[in-house]
Amino acid sequence: MESLSDLASHCIRCGFCLESCPTFMVTGKETESPRGRIYLVRSALEGRLVWEDHVRPHLDACLGCRACETACPSAVQYGRILETARGRLETARPHRARKGLLDTMVRPGLMRGQLALGGLLPGRRLPVLLSRLLSGERPEADKPAAQGASGWAPLDETKLPEVRGEVYLLEGCAMRVLFPRVHEATRRLLRRAGYVVRETSQGCCGALHAHNGHLDEARRLGGVLAESLPDDLPVVVNSAGCGSTMKEYGHLDPENEAMVGIAARTADVSEFLLRAGLTDVLANSQGLASKSATYHDACHLAHGQGVRSAPRELLSAVPGLCVRPLPESDTCCGSAGIYNVTQPKLARALLERKWEHVEATGADFVVLGNPGCHAWIAQAARERGGNVRVFHTAELLEAAFSGLPS
Amino acid sequence: MPTFDPSSERALLDDLRAVLGSNKVLAGPSARKAYDCDAYTVDKSEPLAVVLPESTTDVQTIVRWCLAHGVPYTPRGAGTGLSGGTLPALGGLVVSTKKMTRILEVDLDNRCLLAQSGAVNKRLSEAVAHAGLHFAPDPSSQTVSTLGGNIAENSGGPHTLKYGVTVQHVLKVTMVDPLGEIVTIGSRTENLPGYDFLSLIVGGEGTLGIVTEAWVKLTPNPVKVETVLASFPRVRDATQTVADIIAEGTIPAALEMMDRGIMKAVSLAFGLKYPPDAEALLLIECDGAPETVAAEMDTVTRLCRANGSLELNVAQNEAERLKLWTARKKGIGAMGRLAPSIVTQDGVIPRSKLPEMLDFIAEVARDAGVGIANIFHAGDGNLHPCFYFDDRDPDQVRAVVAGGDRILQKCLDLGGSLSGEHGIGVEKLDLMETMFGKEGLVIQADAKRVFNESPLCNPCKVLPNQKSCVEHRRRWRGAAW
Repeated sequence: MESLSDLASHCIRCGFCLESCPTFMVTGKETESPRGRIYLVRSALEGRLVWEDHVRPHLDACLGCRACETACPSAVQYGRILETARGRLETARPHRARKGLLDTMVRPGLMRGQLALGGLLPGRRLPVLLSRLLSGERPEADKPAAQGASGWAPLDETKLPEVRGEVYLLEGCAMRVLFPRVHEATRRLLRRAGYVVRETSQGCCGALHAHNGHLDEARRLGGVLAESLPDDLPVVVNSAGCGSTMKEYGHLDPENEAMVGIAARTADVSEFLLRAGLTDVLANSQGLASKSATYHDACHLAHGQGVRSAPRELLSAVPGLCVRPLPESDTCCGSAGIYNVTQPKLARALLERKWEHVEATGADFVVLGNPGCHAWIAQAARERGGNVRVFHTAELLEAAFSGLPS
Repeated sequence: MPTFDPSSERALLDDLRAVLGSNKVLAGPSARKAYDCDAYTVDKSEPLAVVLPESTTDVQTIVRWCLAHGVPYTPRGAGTGLSGGTLPALGGLVVSTKKMTRILEVDLDNRCLLAQSGAVNKRLSEAVAHAGLHFAPDPSSQTVSTLGGNIAENSGGPHTLKYGVTVQHVLKVTMVDPLGEIVTIGSRTENLPGYDFLSLIVGGEGTLGIVTEAWVKLTPNPVKVETVLASFPRVRDATQTVADIIAEGTIPAALEMMDRGIMKAVSLAFGLKYPPDAEALLLIECDGAPETVAAEMDTVTRLCRANGSLELNVAQNEAERLKLWTARKKGIGAMGRLAPSIVTQDGVIPRSKLPEMLDFIAEVARDAGVGIANIFHAGDGNLHPCFYFDDRDPDQVRAVVAGGDRILQKCLDLGGSLSGEHGIGVEKLDLMETMFGKEGLVIQADAKRVFNESPLCNPCKVLPNQKSCVEHRRRWRGAAW
C-alpha cells in the first residue's frame, strides 16, 4: 500500500481544488482547504508540525466530501490521505466521545434504544452536554427521528414483470433504523425492474468508521459484512457514504478477497435501476403531474463514486415531473456523516447556503441519495416551514407509481 | 520608523487582534506553515500571522498598523502564483483577500463590472454569462485565481494572443498604497490623458500597494468558435506550423502547444488518447464572425497538413471543444501524475526561435537529470517548460533551479524576456539585471518610489538587491532544500 508520504506527495500545490472545497469557500482560509490540509500533513510527516496540536483541528474541520478529488487534475487521493491521517491521530490519541457515538450508530438495537430515550428529553436539538462533549460547541442538529410509514398499498404481483434475478440490499445501520421507507421504496422499485432481494442477516459496512480514521474497526466490520453476502449477486446500496466505502474495499483491505469481491459487485440503487431499465417502466407510471424536483448530489455519490447522471436520468423519466437544476448541487450540505454533530457551526453555514439554492429553484421536492444529507436538509425544510419536501431518489421514483408517501 | 522585533510577537498579535478583530487574524504554527509559499514551492518563508480583511477600510487598518509597528506585509489571493509573488519574504503579515470576494456592481450598458479583489476570475464571467459577456483574461488557474492576483501578475492565458492580457481589461482600481492611503487610479471611461499609472499597478506584483477593488471591462462572447487539435510526429513540425500561421497574417484566438510529457500526464489523468507516434500537439482556436472563422480555419488546417500533421481533430460541439481544451487547461495541474513537484518556467522568445529553444530545453533536462514537459502559448512565443521532480530530494531542487536559470538566460540570449505572465516574484530576481542592466533597474526603482518609499509593502520582489533582502534570502532559499 502507498504510504501517507507518497499519497501526499502527488499534490503539486496548483490550488485548483480551492474553490471546490466547501470549508475553504466559507472560511477563505488556506488551512481549511484541501491543498492546505495536505501540506499540513506533509509538514507533520517531516516533523515540522505536531500532529495533535497543529494538524488535527484542520482535519477535524474537513467534511470528507472529496469534491477536491473531482477538481484535482493530478488525481490526488485526498479521501485516502484524510482517512489514513485521521487513523494515525486516532491511534495516537482516540477521541473517545466521537468513537462512542460511531459505535452506537452502527448498532441498530442500541440506536433504537437511544432514540426512545432521546424522545423523553425536552427540545428538538441534541442535548447541549452531548454536543459540548463531541464538538465543544452548542448543538445545531436535531435529535434523529425515524421515518413514518409510507402508506403504500402492497404490490400487485399480477401487474409486475417476471422475476429475472436476485440482489443483495445493504440494510445498513442508521439507514434501517431511521429510513425504513427508503428501503421499502428500494425493494418495490427493484421488484418493478424484475429483481427480488435475497434476505440476509447483515451488519454495518464500516463507512462511518473509515471516514473518521478508525480503519481497523472499518476493516473488521467490512470483513463481517462481506461474509454475510457470500454469493455472486449484485449488492445494491441506497446510502452514498456506504456505497462509496464498499466500492473502495479493495483499498481498505486488499488482502481480504471477499471484500475485494464486494467492491466489484456494489452498485448505487440509481445506477442499478437505470441499468435494469427502470426508465421504461417509469414511462408507464402515473407519474407526478405538474410537480417539480431538484436534485442534490450527495458527496459520496458525485465525488466518491462519480454517480451524477443516473439519478437525474431516472427522475427525468417520471411523467409530468419537471427536474430543475440546483446551483452548486455538488457542494456539501454540511451533514457529512457525523460532521454536523462534531462541527456544528461550519455545518450550519453550509446548510444555510444549500437551502438558499434549494428555495431559489422553487421546486416542490429536493431529492438526494444519502441518509446524512436527507436528515440534515429535511431539518432545514422543517425550520423554514415552507412546502418543500425532501425525498430519497428511490422514494420519489416509487411515488411515481404509488403516490407520495403520507 | 519602528522596526519589527520578533520577540514581541505575542504582544504584537494581541494588539493586531484588538485593532482588527480576532476573527480576521489567523496565527499559530499551522497557519504560518500553510501560508509559507504559493504554487512556487522552491522558496519558503513563514509569516508572523495571516489577516483576512473584509473591506478596503480593513486593508487600510492593516497597512497603517504595519507602518506603525514596522511589520512587513505581503498581499495574497488564491496563492496559485508560480514565481513566489506571495512569499512573505521577510515574515510579517500575509494579507489574504479571500474574504473579499463580492461582485459589487454590474454595468451591462457600458460592459464593465466592479468586484472586490478576492473574487475568482471565473465568477466574473459567470456573473455576466446571461448577457453574452465574459472577462477575457483566462489563465489556466481561472477557476480559482483571483482578480487581485491577476492584476498583480498582469495575467495572460491562451486567449490573450487575440484579446490581450489583464492590463488591457482593467479600467480603474481602488488600492491601499504603502502609506496607508486609499487611492483610486484610472477611470471607467477609457483612454485617459496623462501618465498611465494604472499600467504600473497592473503587473506591479503587489509591490506598489494592495488593490482592493477594480472595475474591469467585459468582452462580448464570440458569435462563432472553431477549435482544432492537431498532432505532429516531431516538435519541429508543430513549431514550424506556428511560425507559418503567424507569417500568413492569421491571428487565431488561441494557439497553444503541448509536448509528449503533457500528453502523458493528461492521458493518465483524463484517459485522453493521442496518436502513438505524436510528439507534439497544437490546439488552435479561431473565433469571430462565421465567415472569418471559416477562412481562418481553412488556412490553419491547410498549414497543419502541409507540415505533416498526423491527425486533425475538429470539435463538433461545445462538449467536444471543452474536451480538446482539457489537455491545455489542466495540463500543468496534471503533472502530479508524473512526479511530486513541478516548477513551471515562463520565458518569452521570438516565435521564429521556437525550434531552437525547444531543442535547448531538452538538452537542459538531460543535463539536469530531471523531466521537463512543455506546454505553452506558442502564438506569442511564451514558453512554459515544466520541470517535474521530487522536492524531497535537495539535489533535484538544486538541479531544477540551475536548469531554470539556464533556460531563462537562453531566452534573453535569443532576444526574449524572463516572464510572459507569471511575474518575477522571488524566482527570477537573479536575472533581472541581466535583462534590464543596472541603468534599467534604476529607472524601475525610481518608478516604484513614486508609490512605495516604504520597505514593508511586499518586500524582496521584482527588484533585486533590496535592503535587508539579500541576507534574508539565504533563509528562505534554504527552507525547502
